[in-house]
Amino acid sequence: MRAAALAILPLLAAMLSLLVGGTSLSPAAVTWALLHPHETGVLHTIVWQLRLPRVCIAATVGASLALCGAVLQGMLRNPLVDPYLTGVSAAAAAAISIAIVAGVSAAATPGIGFVAGLGAALLVAALARRGGGIDSNRLILAGISLSTLFAAIVTLALVRAQSNQYASAVVAWLAGSMAGRGWPELAMAAPYAALGAVLAFAVAAPLNALRIGELRARAVGLNVNRAQWIMLAASSLLAASSVVLAGLVGFIGLIVPHIGRRIVGSDARVLLPACASIGAALCMVADAICRRIVAPAELPIGVLLAFIGVPAFLYLYLRPASALRRDAV
Amino acid sequence: MIELRDVTLDVGGRALLRDIDARVATGEFVALLGRNGAGKTTLLRAIAGLHRVRCGAISLDGAPAAQLRALDRAKRIAFVTGDEVFLESLLVRDVVSIGRFAHHRWWQWNAAPNDEDAVDGALAAVRIEAFAERLFSTLSAGERQRVWIALGLAQETPILLLDEPTSHLDVGVAHEILALLWRLTRAGKTVVCALHDINEAAGYADRIALLGDGALLALDSPDAVLTGPLLQKAYGIAFARRHALLPASVLAERPHVGA
Repeated sequence: MRAAALAILPLLAAMLSLLVGGTSLSPAAVTWALLHPHETGVLHTIVWQLRLPRVCIAATVGASLALCGAVLQGMLRNPLVDPYLTGVSAAAAAAISIAIVAGVSAAATPGIGFVAGLGAALLVAALARRGGGIDSNRLILAGISLSTLFAAIVTLALVRAQSNQYASAVVAWLAGSMAGRGWPELAMAAPYAALGAVLAFAVAAPLNALRIGELRARAVGLNVNRAQWIMLAASSLLAASSVVLAGLVGFIGLIVPHIGRRIVGSDARVLLPACASIGAALCMVADAICRRIVAPAELPIGVLLAFIGVPAFLYLYLRPASALRRDAV
Repeated sequence: MIELRDVTLDVGGRALLRDIDARVATGEFVALLGRNGAGKTTLLRAIAGLHRVRCGAISLDGAPAAQLRALDRAKRIAFVTGDEVFLESLLVRDVVSIGRFAHHRWWQWNAAPNDEDAVDGALAAVRIEAFAERLFSTLSAGERQRVWIALGLAQETPILLLDEPTSHLDVGVAHEILALLWRLTRAGKTVVCALHDINEAAGYADRIALLGDGALLALDSPDAVLTGPLLQKAYGIAFARRHALLPASVLAERPHVGA
């Protein structure tokens, strides 16, 4: 029942997201356009070239961030961790800001951000190394310090920007948005997101074992060092792909894992798919609202998520313990 | 069988235990005694493969432990340790099920056929079937200790190492747990158990290993180990023998104890 609901949720969100935008389309028209991919015309262009890539990007970003957050929170056994902790996003932001200000062509910036993000993850991992494994506290400290440094680089780039046009491009990117992104960007980032997702699902059992603490996880046979490296690789790939697709989208990576645990419990074999599903649905709906609410302009998705998502989450999470968890298993 | 040859263990770059030679037979109950910081936990962790051995060798049934992969080691040795910070709201059954980790390959997402039997058996052995669906965080110290033992039992290993399983427990629960461990050894499991209470060790152990001064002072029957000079050396205080208070069941099963 719960599984079916979680499977249907993203489909409903995708449908809604296809209908909503600068011009409202009827479900029949959208369905027709989807079923006839080789037609031409305005309707066809809107659905296939504008809406559908946006929906797919939103789903990828939402699912990636939620999965990434779930993996990192489980790995570090810290509920305050979010996908940007490892410095991936800050480094990507810094690199992209520099690229924009330096006048590098827009087509090249996502690639630059992706490489910088993964490079930062490697650097943080190297700093957090202890023995053959990764020390959780060192990882958090290294991630936060490097993120601060990268944030300073972004500020510097903004201050030194030669024109307002460059500066607003940087700000737009920092605010998180999928405006103007299409199939080419998705085609570039999706394989890495998919690889990250596969790695995330592969460490479901290790994530479960880590719930009873690192020492006991070792005692029941988990190779903690190896598991941590896989988890870090998975989270870095997921965070970096979402960052190049949509810039900095907050909230989802931190909050969706908590919502998922509330609904299905902490068993990673159920939690990870649930997070992917909720994250994708949330991101698609939020993106649809962003496109509609101030049309023809667009609201940055990060802003909307904060305004709607945070109160909803606080209600869900902070109200007195309910029967939710009990019948969840 | 557990065999240690010339084992030296470091903690923080300093030798804590030197040249430990010991052999524990299959089905034996060995109690590990020694003052705080004597190296009981470190020794147990080293045997369980959770602490690096600086030099010397540990072998399990003749096979060098250092060459075992984590998964294979977890099928031979279960290491039971007490409470620590707990983030998630897990059910008791969820916790105990994690003991089955080594019996799965990473791509096996579903429970193996005998998982449920192993978990049920472990819960029944420590008599917490009734708590199986309760949240771990709602349990008392004694109940939590039993969950940790059940976690170890669910691994279905021939060897069970326990780090102070009776700390923080009242006398009744402590003896219940020790009696359970003793029964497990009669069924063929090997148990090595760090303890603080000398009388508990005397009541249940086949042999007692006494740590002190960075070495294994003795590994022998309770009568041979629990003597004034050895205890003075290990604990730094003088002991005198009076009749110990032990459960009647212990004295009935093992009349030589406390005589």
